Amino acid sequence: MQKMSDDTSLPLARFTIVEVNDANVPLCLRLATSLAAKIAADLGADVLKIEPLGGDPVRRAPPFLLQGESALFQFLNTSKRSLVLDLVSESGRNALAGLLNKADAVLFEEPATSAPLLRASHATPIEIAAFPAEMNAATRPVSEFAILALGGLLHMVGEPERKPLRLGGHQASYAAGLTAFTGLSAALAARDAGQTAPAVRVSLAEVMQWVNWKAASGADAGGTSPGREGKNSEFQIVPCRDGHVAVVYTVTQWPATRALIGDPRLANPMFNTRAGRRQNITRLYEIITPWFADKTRAEIQKTAQAKGVPFGPIFSPAELLQTEQYVSRGFLTEMAHPKLGSLRLPQLPVQWNGRSFAPRPAPELAA
Amino acid sequence: MKALAGVRVLDFGLLTAGANTSAMLADLGADVIKIESGAYLDPFRVVGKPDNEKGWWNRSPQFRFTNRNKRGLALNLKAPEGQRVIRELAAHCDIVVENFRRGVLDRAALGYKDLSAINPRLVFAAISSQGDTGPERMNVSFGSTLDATSGIASLTGYEGEEPRISGMDVNYPDQIVSLFATGIVIAAIMEARRTGKGAFLDFSQREVASFTLGEEIVAASADPARASGRRGNREEGVAQQDAHRCKDGRWIAVTLDAPDPAIDAFCAGRDSADAVAALLARGIAAAPCNDGADLLRDTKLQGVTLVRDERGGLVKGLPYRLDGKGISIERPGPDLGQHTDEVLRELLGYDDAQLKKLADTGVTSTTPTVGEV
Repeated sequence: MQKMSDDTSLPLARFTIVEVNDANVPLCLRLATSLAAKIAADLGADVLKIEPLGGDPVRRAPPFLLQGESALFQFLNTSKRSLVLDLVSESGRNALAGLLNKADAVLFEEPATSAPLLRASHATPIEIAAFPAEMNAATRPVSEFAILALGGLLHMVGEPERKPLRLGGHQASYAAGLTAFTGLSAALAARDAGQTAPAVRVSLAEVMQWVNWKAASGADAGGTSPGREGKNSEFQIVPCRDGHVAVVYTVTQWPATRALIGDPRLANPMFNTRAGRRQNITRLYEIITPWFADKTRAEIQKTAQAKGVPFGPIFSPAELLQTEQYVSRGFLTEMAHPKLGSLRLPQLPVQWNGRSFAPRPAPELAA
Repeated sequence: MKALAGVRVLDFGLLTAGANTSAMLADLGADVIKIESGAYLDPFRVVGKPDNEKGWWNRSPQFRFTNRNKRGLALNLKAPEGQRVIRELAAHCDIVVENFRRGVLDRAALGYKDLSAINPRLVFAAISSQGDTGPERMNVSFGSTLDATSGIASLTGYEGEEPRISGMDVNYPDQIVSLFATGIVIAAIMEARRTGKGAFLDFSQREVASFTLGEEIVAASADPARASGRRGNREEGVAQQDAHRCKDGRWIAVTLDAPDPAIDAFCAGRDSADAVAALLARGIAAAPCNDGADLLRDTKLQGVTLVRDERGGLVKGLPYRLDGKGISIERPGPDLGQHTDEVLRELLGYDDAQLKKLADTGVTSTTPTVGEV
């Protein structure tokens, strides 16, 4: 039988973390910083967010709720406390130094004016940058979109003859935010074990390349770079009765996929190997596409999964709110906000001994 | 000293989601022992095989990219003897990482319940498509299935056209899960050190992907009529943003703080390097649209993300820098079963006769019994 205190204490409850928000850093860096600190806060760390006069600019960034508040800010700052400090003033910097003396880690962005002070503090620095240190490019203009291009991910999505496409959402910032969280966790573990924790530096450009490693691996092994294949790719999107479905299957799942579609023309030997299917991809999709037309996404998923075929029905964010699996696991939780009423948002995507981590509302900006 | 020095990982991880979580633990100093079997190889050994000559299973670049700095064991999990050896190993490990379909390890009596009974301090990371509970827990997925079901695909595509997935050569949702899971596993190790109790960590890859759309979900719940969907490269709150083709035929990405209808013509009239330099000089975020070959060439841009092993093979580096450094590769990705005997001697004290018996009965092996997986 677990003791009550074990049950109620959150895993990072004994750690104090400061997130420093300089007024003038690119938003794409801030999103990464705030995501990393939010995960730690939801896990129980005492996260103090130091905002500039006027507040973190993310408070004014879309998407917006009906009341005009930023949904982005609400998502990224759950379970934190906030304090406004003018870090241009000496009193502000002194106050920050006092807070850092008691903190285990401090998160900030490379171009922040306070960065030199933060790197030298007693708290372990977790620094978010746009580019690798080797580029020496702290002041180079940056956007998430530019990072996707540099990291090679932009090159991978879309039609080969048309412009390349970005992935939806803040993928460059958030992949870096997840990375910074893991770096933070490693630093806390080192401190916890009485070691000197490593300073952590995360750049969005490195994370994107790391995520997109198959581009470098493919170019290194085959001499040619993988790239967007659009209508020539093995996996394509097909329309169905109530939306779209992604056709996805592995080499070993091809026989089951063929049986599922049930069209005798798929028995043609030209479709027997992966190379053959790739060579005849237009013909293949001409045969399989009609199968989807009169079926709903739910029917397609059920029938395909029964045969072990991983077709993916496409859901919008609004539709995810109704998804049976998410409802059953309580993934999209209801959070009572003192001013905005009830908000639904994703919890941390982990269950720890069956327990989820309910987020607390993001802090108001102190007057 | 590295943060996870002295920590040992029993790694059943396959492909990226599982195997890369263990690789990130190895990066932090953990001793990772990867378990495969002759009857079930990490599928990366197969999908990446360069040829069909003997030893093909040891040459896949994708496998080597992901499994560097691990030791490799081949133990038949379907044989009771193989299961017994795993249970003995679990007593000497701190972490289990697995991304089998739900139920596979339970059926072999190697699930969390079985292994935590042997070692209560064990942190058990179960990474699956949908999580360990719920009506869809047994659903299968492969990479881009989750682009679709997580919501990411619905927001990806040319303006007003059909949704798009990241595809076979990216499988984006598989890549990000280890960036999160590793941090959680470390937090659980801290708890295990403090309390003496391990944990069952249930990760749903689909949830990790949807988590990256948190603000979209918050906004949709507050306003079900909110317009979302495909906007090409445009982004809410950004004045103008798109990819433009330059005079040399290359695409560049440009993000503008104020609309500029002339930007397309500006790019079309210059080579890509000149256009990017000119835009950056004006304070505008711009970048070339790199492909894999560009990434291999630009060693400054690579930072610490790529590194070479002792055989000169290119492998995965770090997504972050620790104390200013990347990693060095102490051992290349293991051949199938390369370290079986070494690890069983070292951790379990097996002698020659015991090892020979395991090999003779097919419990351990160094060659696959299957051609395709």
